Amino acid sequence: MRRRRVDPAAGARAGTLPEAIAALSRSLPSGPSPEIFRRAKFDRPDATSALWQLLFRVLSPLPAGSALASIALDVQARLVKSALCSQGYPRLALAQLPEDGSQGSRELLLALSWLLARGPVPEQMLARTRVPLGDEMTVCQCEALASLGPPAPHVETEGPVDVRHVQWLMGKLRFRWRQLVSSQQEQCALLSKIHLYTHGCHSDQSLGHLSVTEAEMLRDPEGGQQVSGAGAAQNLDLAYPKGLHFCTPGMGPRTFWNDLWLVCEQPGLLPGDWAAPLDPGGASACSLLFPLRVLLRTLEQENRRLEAVLAWRRTELVFWRWMDTVLGTCAPEAPAAASQPTFLPWVPECGDGELELVVRELQTLEEELREAAERRRVAWEAKARGCGRGPEWSATRRASRETVEKELGALQRCWEQDSGPAQAHGPHRLVRREDGAAGDRDLRAAELIRTLRSQEACLEAMLRQLQGQCRQELARLAGAVPGLIWIPPPGR
Amino acid sequence: MLPADCSRRLVAELQGALDACAQRQLQLEQSLRVCRRLLQAWEPTGTWAWEPPPEPETNEEDPLPACIPSPQDLKELEFLTQALEKAVRVRRRITKAGERNKAPSLKSGSFVTSPGTTASTPPQPPGQAGGHASGTRPTKGLRQTTVPAKGRSERWLPSGQDRTRVGIGARAPRPGAGLRNQHMAPSAAPQAPEAFTLKEKGHLLRLPAAFRKAASQNLRLWVQLSSMQTSDSMDAAAAKTQFLQNMQTASGGSQPRFSAAEVEAEARRLRKACSLLRLRVRKELSAAPVDWMQEYRCLLTLEGLQAMVGQCLQRLQELRAAVAEQPPLPCPVGRPPKASLSCGGGAEPTWSPQLLVYSSTQELQTLAALKLRVAVLDQQIHLEKVLMAELLPLVSAAQPEGPSWLTLCRAVHSLLCEGGARVLTILRDEPAD
Repeated sequence: MRRRRVDPAAGARAGTLPEAIAALSRSLPSGPSPEIFRRAKFDRPDATSALWQLLFRVLSPLPAGSALASIALDVQARLVKSALCSQGYPRLALAQLPEDGSQGSRELLLALSWLLARGPVPEQMLARTRVPLGDEMTVCQCEALASLGPPAPHVETEGPVDVRHVQWLMGKLRFRWRQLVSSQQEQCALLSKIHLYTHGCHSDQSLGHLSVTEAEMLRDPEGGQQVSGAGAAQNLDLAYPKGLHFCTPGMGPRTFWNDLWLVCEQPGLLPGDWAAPLDPGGASACSLLFPLRVLLRTLEQENRRLEAVLAWRRTELVFWRWMDTVLGTCAPEAPAAASQPTFLPWVPECGDGELELVVRELQTLEEELREAAERRRVAWEAKARGCGRGPEWSATRRASRETVEKELGALQRCWEQDSGPAQAHGPHRLVRREDGAAGDRDLRAAELIRTLRSQEACLEAMLRQLQGQCRQELARLAGAVPGLIWIPPPGR
Repeated sequence: MLPADCSRRLVAELQGALDACAQRQLQLEQSLRVCRRLLQAWEPTGTWAWEPPPEPETNEEDPLPACIPSPQDLKELEFLTQALEKAVRVRRRITKAGERNKAPSLKSGSFVTSPGTTASTPPQPPGQAGGHASGTRPTKGLRQTTVPAKGRSERWLPSGQDRTRVGIGARAPRPGAGLRNQHMAPSAAPQAPEAFTLKEKGHLLRLPAAFRKAASQNLRLWVQLSSMQTSDSMDAAAAKTQFLQNMQTASGGSQPRFSAAEVEAEARRLRKACSLLRLRVRKELSAAPVDWMQEYRCLLTLEGLQAMVGQCLQRLQELRAAVAEQPPLPCPVGRPPKASLSCGGGAEPTWSPQLLVYSSTQELQTLAALKLRVAVLDQQIHLEKVLMAELLPLVSAAQPEGPSWLTLCRAVHSLLCEGGARVLTILRDEPAD
């Protein structure tokens, strides 16, 4: 019972609205049926809960497991509101919607369209749940070694602790770092062997050898030999869900978990074993060691969704025209007079605290620079008076100025712009080739190693500098106390 | 003892880092288990996927070849023969009594899709083609274990290196299923050298056709998506912008100058700026200019850096003002500061999968080790800043008397200046008077 609506302004592209909406709903994971969209235009209440759930899926940073779906609808609604607000969603009506799913489907439709207009949402969601067939390694370092899952319910240290406890924790951390290094070295060696031994049997010539996933699928097509808890995607540094690579419209994972705890006020509200399936090590969405038939089915599902996304991209123009009309049916909102309703306790010091730290650092830096620059300027002026004047003098000065400007400009670009197109985000499939030949779109390990080495040097310099600063500060503080001899530990 | 709130923050921070490492370690260990298992001899409890023929055939008991085997098949059959012959020899050696009927136990769970009849009729002499596999040439003792050779794909992975003759037994394979050479295993102990290892026969593996098809289609679609992304239609983009504008004008929400996400992004950028600037300042201040030109350049650089720092401070103040002027917004708590120097943030994602090519184990290990090192350094620097912010004020505020202050000093020095690796020694040297 869909209206046939061919927009005359669509020009040569005679896509129809039902087609576009159907493609959209196929391209989103468990997307609502096209009927929901139509009902939402008329603000029918029965379309509301489906749209809340869809928005929640889009905005939550983790791949969907059954556990996420079992979060109550009103909790989902609250998180959706929070996430949209943090992205600067303009409409007030959304914040005022009841959370029980009884009304507001048109507002939700507008919110969904807002997200769709701002970024490639279907593609991002697909990328999140992509089946990685190869052994993957990510190139960028966003949130590497960041904690993903729900913060483990620690015994909250209520009381003061001894500083030696802190030292002990630090030692534990250093041990874990060492452990990571050795485990990873071993894994690389094994991976390399597997690649080497299976060389020559992949149907895709550019790959040339099997990945661990593929080999495992061959070894155990029935999947009967799962190691308990095994299911890690073969990603060498799966420190975060793949979705984060692509700057999803959703929240970062830590934000998400914080919000979830806050919203639920007590962990007991959440379904009992919900945390377990979300453990990244065993997340079912990431689990790859399927039996062959399941893997095939997943691949085919992904292919269908890819086709739907392509169809959506071809026909979306009609959808946007339609959304304009939907927007038109809403009354324009009056600008907010009073403050908006707060529904999440916002911990102000957290946001402000970070900025505070940076401000302090920059202020100290500014002080230091001011002193040093003044001093040097005075010294230099004195010296320059002694030197002669002349055309080449001013020419050299100008040349120096230009060089310095250029250098500083480059420095500024380092943080202003995103690191250039060379640094692709996202996982790359590892391929072993004896000659190391790579296409122009592929990355070479040797280049990455160079980049990483320079980053390492930079970071080491920074760390040493920080440590030096501490040393000076402590020496100053300790020097005030007479009668003590400080014997530094033996150097490396 | 440290004050309560300071303790809480420090412990929370360190515990967070520990958890992250633990998670990563867990993933690595799982991955290691899988890899190790792959490199060992493959347990014959699964079926191996080989090139199944295009149509799955269900008639497993057909003793006659379904088609004329290709040369490749013949070659692989020869391998099978070799393997079987070796199995015979080994079995003769090992199994004293051929009645040790391991066939049923081996079949448990493995031939799940095979009809029971094929597998469980040990003494039945197989048909002529497959008969060779279990029949005449090898000894009778092998019969019960080689019967499973029936019903398998003719193409399979040779598990042994030795010769066993096998007939032209083109069996109807199950979709996706391969031939199992379990007859290898029972002849010898399960850890038989004849068992398949990746090292020897890895290059003979073949992916199932259905999988290949799906995977190549998948790749093609992703590439298509990626190329469509880059050439996004003008109309659609314009329509989207228009819609967003309409939303903005029709909405009552006062558009905050910065949404929380933008505040975060800007703050991240400024933190990165701070680190970079600080590094550069150190470099300039520690450089010893040789001649006046260098001195001039150094001076100009310092002044330029001063200007930049001023600019950043100004932006930060604006940001803070913008954040402060909004009433308690229902915004999620911010993310913990992680000014990673390495990542640039929000680059345009490419959807089509890209390759990362390496040429040797050494290279891969170096690459992975460096990545880990950079991540660890990031973590270390972040911790250092947090510790500095928490502990240095304590030291300066504490009264320098008593052993507890000394303990604190030692601990703080160790944590802040040596990364917790070494501890200094303090000698009390009372002035004698």
